[in-house]
Amino acid sequence: MRIVRKGLIGIFVLVMASFLCGAASAAEPIKVGVVLPLTGSMAKFGEIERRSFEMALEEINAKGGVKGRKIELVFEDDTGKPDVGRSAVEKLISRDKVPVVTGGYSSAVVAAAAPVAHQLKVPFVICTGAADDVTEKGYEYVFRINPTASEYPEATKSFLKGVAKVKTAVILYENTQFGQSSSKAFEEDCKELGIQVLMKEGYSAGAIDFKPLLTNVKAKNPDLIYMVSYVLDASLLIRQAKELDINPKLFVGGAAGFTLPEFQMSAGPAAEYVFSATLWTPNLRDKDYPGAKKYFDNFRARYKSDTEYHGAEAYASMYVVADALKRTKSFTPKDVRDALAATNMKTAFGPVKFISYGKKTQQNKLPTYLVQWQDGKLETVWPKDVATKKALYPTPKWSARK
Amino acid sequence: MDVFLQILVAGFLKGGLYALIGIGMTLIMGVMGIINLAHGQLMMVAMYVTFVLHSFFGVDPYLSLFVAMPALFLLGVVIQKYLLNPLIKAETILPENQVLMTVGIGMVLTEVIRFIFKSDYKSVTTSYTGATFFLGSISFSWALVVAFGIAVAFTVAMFFFLIKTDLGRSIRATAQDKDAAILMGVNTRRITVITFGLGTALVACAGTLLVPVYYVFPDLGGPFTAKAFIITILGGLGSTVGAIFGGVTLGLAESLGATYLGMEYEDIVGLTIFVLVLLFLPGGFKRLTKV
Repeated sequence: MRIVRKGLIGIFVLVMASFLCGAASAAEPIKVGVVLPLTGSMAKFGEIERRSFEMALEEINAKGGVKGRKIELVFEDDTGKPDVGRSAVEKLISRDKVPVVTGGYSSAVVAAAAPVAHQLKVPFVICTGAADDVTEKGYEYVFRINPTASEYPEATKSFLKGVAKVKTAVILYENTQFGQSSSKAFEEDCKELGIQVLMKEGYSAGAIDFKPLLTNVKAKNPDLIYMVSYVLDASLLIRQAKELDINPKLFVGGAAGFTLPEFQMSAGPAAEYVFSATLWTPNLRDKDYPGAKKYFDNFRARYKSDTEYHGAEAYASMYVVADALKRTKSFTPKDVRDALAATNMKTAFGPVKFISYGKKTQQNKLPTYLVQWQDGKLETVWPKDVATKKALYPTPKWSARK
Repeated sequence: MDVFLQILVAGFLKGGLYALIGIGMTLIMGVMGIINLAHGQLMMVAMYVTFVLHSFFGVDPYLSLFVAMPALFLLGVVIQKYLLNPLIKAETILPENQVLMTVGIGMVLTEVIRFIFKSDYKSVTTSYTGATFFLGSISFSWALVVAFGIAVAFTVAMFFFLIKTDLGRSIRATAQDKDAAILMGVNTRRITVITFGLGTALVACAGTLLVPVYYVFPDLGGPFTAKAFIITILGGLGSTVGAIFGGVTLGLAESLGATYLGMEYEDIVGLTIFVLVLLFLPGGFKRLTKV
């Protein structure tokens, strides 16, 4: 509450200040639109990303902004709903006249908002929404920094190949664009690795009782349970798996909900040993991920809470946009788009370069990582060269835990 | 077989909670003849009360029943007395003014809670969250079993209250025939206020019992209002016994559907039964039991 109020006052002061002095001086700030879920069921992620955007913004402005002008962020709330996200982007473009829009959390929102950016010819730099087809439609004005949903399980795949050689798997996913995209990709990976998929089933988010689903899973007795879920479904799934005494050799989450501190808080000791795919960890090598650790430490010092890959995506996204604004010939959307297309830089979230491969266009390609909850902390366990701890495998039976 | 038994248990336990949610709505329905579309939102408020008591004062969720229920009873009384009853007098084009009012109240409650607590997911983790015991190979969640027990206790108490006490008889009289009740000297205005309070307190109880096994966020109310509505229709409007049957039926149907058809169809199963009952058994289970 206090933070919101402070934020509001801050914004108010900023707005007033820009009215009072901005109008007079020639160096008005450059507006950049950001669309995020600030309320609604995904607001938690939106908050981490907003804070990260603001941190990056302050750092950039403190160093003199771009071309002697400061950058100003205009946040719009998409409430996690596609229709609202769509009109939020329309509003940013037509009313606020921003030359570039960034943000975009949920896949469904991004899928609805990307065509708007494409039609109105204003570049949209997506930082989180991961459903594959968004960058498969040849939208000239749409860029994406994060890997697509189908690439999330890459590290999991190599871990399964190298360490945990399991034979059978069950895939559970939230029935949304992101869930479908991710689970389909993992199913194909299983086929490639010779893992038999015993069951693949979707569920709708927000259920009270996952026992019907999990009872079926228990009857199948798989070696591996792969879940694509947002944060509280994730913790209910794990808690109820414990209640039903389901003992696979490993539980793996497909990113999204499983890396948030809230997951650990809500699932409690049941979170131990759970693996998750992730796109980023704070202890990546500085060579390719300059400032990753610094971002993590600063965030924690400033907001007294942890950040994770979603925040890093937002933080890096701000730098990518600022970089393009520095290089652009003018601040028309067309020139900014061309500058973005030529991006080739290293950020805290990894190297960013928009390339075309397969069916995808203007898509950044990055490796993914595997993390595991150990003693209440999220430790990187794979690939080996960036691991902070050794992977604990196989997962002990529930009855054998303390 | 194990799968089937486990699902039966899960569905039954969930059904107990559903029954408690449904009874509150059906009471209000019976006495006032309106559907209270803020029912789920009131439950959400009770859940936040429980959450606050737990995280700031360390009160056990089950103990906070003693705070949440009276608090929500009062809230219900205030809503009925100052927001719904005055509408009876107002002459307007729409006859269902009070129903529209409840929709508005639901929205206000959601936004007020969002303003105070933000949209964050909150959860209450206690020592018995996730605690289980096994009968054979069937797992029982302690929290849900306790919730089921309390739900049954309240339902039975409610039943005797309605049948045996003076106030209970007045409530039933008002539900059966308002004019006749007035002629017999029942203060129906006071009865509506008490009934709304009672209905709200019951759903508050359900909400509090749900807290240790679920989570809380402001937009939680809507889906539960819809569930309460389905249960009420299943059971027959205004019937307490019907609401119990309706709740358990919905719980079982959802669980069985989720197991044998797929978890994606959980909600569809409930709604399909809803439509079937409306088509083939209008009036719900009340028609079969006559209570």
